[in-house]
Amino acid sequence: MSLTNLILLTGRTINQGVALEGGKVTKENVRAAGICTFDKDDFKKLDSIAGTPVKVTTDYGEVMVYSTITEEGPHPGIIFIPMGPWSNQVVNPDTQGCGTPTYKGMKAKVEIVKDGKVLDALELIGKLKEVQK
Amino acid sequence: MTQKKITTHYDVLCPFCGTLCDDLEVDIADNEVIEMRNSCQIGTKKFFSSNPSGHRYLKPQIKEKGTFRDATWDEALDKAADILIKAKRPLLYGFSSTECEAQGVGVELAEYLKAILDNTASVCHGPSLLAIQDVGAPLSTLGEYKNRADLVIFWGSNPVHAHPRHLSRYSDFVRGYFRKDGRNDRYIVVVDPRNTHTAQIADLYIKINPNEDYELLNAIRAVLRGVELDAKEVSGVPMESIKRLVDILKKCHFGVIFFGMGLTQSLSHHRNIDSAICLVRELNDHTKFLLTPMRGHYNVAGANQVFTWNTGYAYSIDFSREYARYNPGEFSSVDLLMNDEVDATLIVASDPASNFPAGAVRNMFKHPIIAIEPHHTPTSVYADVILPPAFAGIECEGTAYRMDKVPLRLRKVKEAPEECLPDKEILERLFERVKEKEGK
Amino acid sequence: MKMVEVKLKLKKKPKFPLEADSITPDNFAGKTLAEIKKLPLYHARELITIGEFFDVTGKAEDVSNTKIIIDGDVSKVKRIGEKMTGGEIIINSDVGMHVGNTMSGGKILVKGNADDWAGAMLQGGELEIEGNAGHYVGSAYRGFWQGMKNGTIRVKGKVGNESMLWAKSSKPANKWPTLYCGGASSFLGLHNHGGTMVVEGDVDRCIGADQIRGTIIVKGNISRILPSFKKLDDVNEITLPNGEIMTGKFAQYSGDHSVSKETAGRLYVAIK
Repeated sequence: MSLTNLILLTGRTINQGVALEGGKVTKENVRAAGICTFDKDDFKKLDSIAGTPVKVTTDYGEVMVYSTITEEGPHPGIIFIPMGPWSNQVVNPDTQGCGTPTYKGMKAKVEIVKDGKVLDALELIGKLKEVQK
Repeated sequence: MTQKKITTHYDVLCPFCGTLCDDLEVDIADNEVIEMRNSCQIGTKKFFSSNPSGHRYLKPQIKEKGTFRDATWDEALDKAADILIKAKRPLLYGFSSTECEAQGVGVELAEYLKAILDNTASVCHGPSLLAIQDVGAPLSTLGEYKNRADLVIFWGSNPVHAHPRHLSRYSDFVRGYFRKDGRNDRYIVVVDPRNTHTAQIADLYIKINPNEDYELLNAIRAVLRGVELDAKEVSGVPMESIKRLVDILKKCHFGVIFFGMGLTQSLSHHRNIDSAICLVRELNDHTKFLLTPMRGHYNVAGANQVFTWNTGYAYSIDFSREYARYNPGEFSSVDLLMNDEVDATLIVASDPASNFPAGAVRNMFKHPIIAIEPHHTPTSVYADVILPPAFAGIECEGTAYRMDKVPLRLRKVKEAPEECLPDKEILERLFERVKEKEGK
Repeated sequence: MKMVEVKLKLKKKPKFPLEADSITPDNFAGKTLAEIKKLPLYHARELITIGEFFDVTGKAEDVSNTKIIIDGDVSKVKRIGEKMTGGEIIINSDVGMHVGNTMSGGKILVKGNADDWAGAMLQGGELEIEGNAGHYVGSAYRGFWQGMKNGTIRVKGKVGNESMLWAKSSKPANKWPTLYCGGASSFLGLHNHGGTMVVEGDVDRCIGADQIRGTIIVKGNISRILPSFKKLDDVNEITLPNGEIMTGKFAQYSGDHSVSKETAGRLYVAIK
């Protein structure tokens, strides 16, 4: 099941902040930042249970993350991934000449992937390194 | 059973976010943090993370054949100096999670190397600085807001998650000199595309369409000038709500807008801030109004201060022609990396592998990386040399600047592991080694 | 006037962007080829010479009759034409940032695309770009609140964001900074103080933001007009400050009213 025409926002959460101070390469960090938060009604359309991996795709890349339901809604049409290695696979790197990437407001689509593998931070970032060797 | 000797430190600064809380209490026994009081979840975690763990680097590391090995400071500094000297366009980046004296050495080193010097404002509140350079900014200090502000607006900012104690110390729940009834003496407004946890405790939540903040600010300013607009709705907000908001803005005694990444990281970046600043300036024709950016790191404001008083510019500085030049978009880290224009990086007190867009990280990994980083992070794990520092604000003293540019003194509450040196000393030794190798 | 030509041909690809503010008719005038080859060029943090990256042939004379022709891919060469006061430069490829910045006379023709900051701080002269241009075309540099003051920029293709930022005209001095382009992104004419902009095609959002006075004409579609712009009567003809007359049916808007209740600033959008 999939949803299109979404807008992806990214940002800080307190759990992501705690996890990043505790060790960015831990499993705790995956559960804090490797997630995509949905509006309750939007998620119903995906006909799945919260926690199932979803693939989020934008014009700039794709990433597999765990799905969760928002506590900061309703926000139909908007999905939220905390800042970090997962969101950075799909944000807009274009700074429009001002230096700061456009981390918020990308058009996105999501797809449930029941047996999708959500990588931890090191594996995910590691993929950017392997290409060289 | 012998009682551990516990030393309690009072009025300790928290080295996490720009709120720079200065009232923490830290209990130390056997050189370990054993209890924290007054800190938020994240501050607490930071102090505890300085205790011995598998995640902390205790000795310098050099990567050989794909894995790290322990090294002496001598070897590691040598290798790092070589990397910097050989590079034709080195980038010195980060600096936001360390103290001002160290930042100053970073400037000297960058100038000597004719490198690019940048800090995390580049991906965070850089747009705020760009806007301030164009239209100025009516700012004040957190103490003034705590004592006087009866209207507090959070625009594109979610302090419950990003600045956890801001609301209870300065902007919402605290009693102030002229706000003796605390929360009841204040009117809180939140403007955000999501009904965030901060919005849920506000008096007025305005739901705005993502990427349309500029249009709303523009409409508010026009309505404030008494212009009757043609539109029925702007950015998802009905004109009636806009007019009501303008009324609220005009009628307050002392208003403040706290703004965050919702404005700087969405489309039109610094122009969102430009418009917000102009709005605040115009409101001073009616009442007293100010604004303050919600700085993310505890000393990114300090990095901007130190870079500015040394070079004239706050971030994204190029020294390649032997004088400081400034141009975000041309000399900013992400743009340079996306264009693969950097051939070596020295990362100090930050984690760009986690926080830069993937394309920039990919190019950064193509070249040597020196990381001055206490913990295992995606940047340090993929670096070539790791120089382990002491935690500024926990294991060494220094100055930090709060989000409102008030300088405060970071404390030392425990000793760093034997081979972890303060950032300032690491940078000084690296600078000496570079000069030695070049025969200067 | 009979022009003499100096030909520059890029002989190897630079690993990092080159800064070539020494390539101007002003710097070449009165110099021999050997002297021109010794002029400074910056390659990252290395100070080198024009001769290291370019083959130089032809001859230079005075500023006003020297034409510089540049061949080879100079898409990573920045600052060509900086501060020139006369003469001509023809660039036969894409060109890097800051082309023609702060020039006050002469002509530059780019037969390709230009990167950001093309014609920034223009004080006079003509800059023509046959392809697209990046952000900040004809704009003020950081921290300057007066940008392009005179001269003409023509871009056949599309210009990026914040073009003509802080443009300033002067009626007493008869200076009318003008941009003609095929299309524009967002914030065209931001903080406009009298600049003229004519767009043949479409534009994005926030056109004329913070405009105090000036004339912006859009012949294509505008994705969203700022709420602070007010609709006035339609017009059949527009007289540009530089004297040019544009005919056609246009919707007329005054703005930006977020800056002032009454304004001389105008935005015209063609009625199709």
